[in-house]
Amino acid sequence: MTIAALVVFAALLAAWLLAPAERHQRRARPEHSVMELAADAA
Amino acid sequence: MGTIDSGDTAWLLISTALVMLMTPGLALFYGGLVRRKNVLSTIMHSFFILALISVTWVLWGYSLAFGPDSGIGLIGRLDWVGLEGVIGAPSETYATTTPHLAFMAFQMMFAIITPALISGAFAERKRFKAFVLFSVAWSTLVYAPIAHWVWSPDGWLAGLGILDVAGGTVVHLASGVAALVSALVVGRRMGLIEPITEPHDVPMTVLGAGLLWFGWFGFNAGSALGANGVAAVALVTTNTAAAMAALTWVTISWLHRGSPSVVGAAIGAVAGLVAITPAAGYVTPAASVLIGFGVGLVCYGASLLRLRSRVDDALDVFAVHGVGGAFGAVATGIFATVAVNEAGRDGLLAGNAAQLAVQILGVGAVATYSAAATAAILLAINLVVRIRVPGDAEEAGLDLAQHGEVAYQA
Repeated sequence: MTIAALVVFAALLAAWLLAPAERHQRRARPEHSVMELAADAA
Repeated sequence: MGTIDSGDTAWLLISTALVMLMTPGLALFYGGLVRRKNVLSTIMHSFFILALISVTWVLWGYSLAFGPDSGIGLIGRLDWVGLEGVIGAPSETYATTTPHLAFMAFQMMFAIITPALISGAFAERKRFKAFVLFSVAWSTLVYAPIAHWVWSPDGWLAGLGILDVAGGTVVHLASGVAALVSALVVGRRMGLIEPITEPHDVPMTVLGAGLLWFGWFGFNAGSALGANGVAAVALVTTNTAAAMAALTWVTISWLHRGSPSVVGAAIGAVAGLVAITPAAGYVTPAASVLIGFGVGLVCYGASLLRLRSRVDDALDVFAVHGVGGAFGAVATGIFATVAVNEAGRDGLLAGNAAQLAVQILGVGAVATYSAAATAAILLAINLVVRIRVPGDAEEAGLDLAQHGEVAYQA
């Protein structure tokens, strides 16, 4: 049981390593920079 | 094996819940101090750590910190990994009148808040992914060993007789020094003309400080590990030191800046809580007045020095927790008396100068190890994941750039 729990946590850790670092890396289009998104949000 | 005492167990479980509330309290305390574009990311640091360390503590953290010693008092063995053998019956070593699991859960809350404290230093510019990796590594490689040194009966500092009720060295000094190192490694926030930014929500910060103060009764009085006289002493000295430090900080800021600062009252109270943490069960209420006054002076001075140094420890974690923790640990060596707690030791004023030397040695050892290990961890993580967000993300704010959300709609 303990080993299964460790494996599950290790899988989460791997997912965090592979996940995108910044939101704009997923949505990067010339017309939608992070700065523009920030301006929209404001 | 001891017998479970229902009163002790009830107090320890309640204290666990009180200490748990401190981490969301810290989230609000820090969240109010940053700029509005970074409030969610700052709150997320504390809230995510609440979940993250809850799991790692069960899987391996508790065993490393409190498990049977590996040989020379530096770290515990992995005998209790996954809480194997940690059960509802009392431990033979820790809190012998309560379930072992209750003691484990109480200590878990300390392990949670300690890396969360560091997050104030690198607020507004640290990449979330790097923060997660850092928190796991730091909790495992820095917190667990230091907790073992001080709180395991086989720890080398415990063997020397160090007094630290609830983590003046383990929690506050270790995290405060790590914060200073983090600020140096991560670097200054971009575009800051002044070395300090205006808090975006002072009521949020004051609410957070209030929750911290409330939870600190569990932190310190709960560390008596029983519903007894030492717990009462710890509760009274905790409240008194917090109050005195808040009064002192407000007075100094009034004289220095011309107005009694509300943020100063909140930060001053936290500084007092930090300083009394190692001493709470070992000193008299009168001594806690002096400790609160002293730490208010010292930490205010430390925060001024930080501004002049241009080190961007964004939320003054080192000035409050590092300096306050060291001050409290040393003060414990001065004011401790067995008249308050027979299980403690006399300090300098009770004729035992050696205790002061042990406290100073403990401060030096914890600070040195935390600084070196924190730097090594950060530099290693930076090889895998850049610690700092790109400039455009920092300018836009971490809430949007890292989490895709904003706290407030216009």
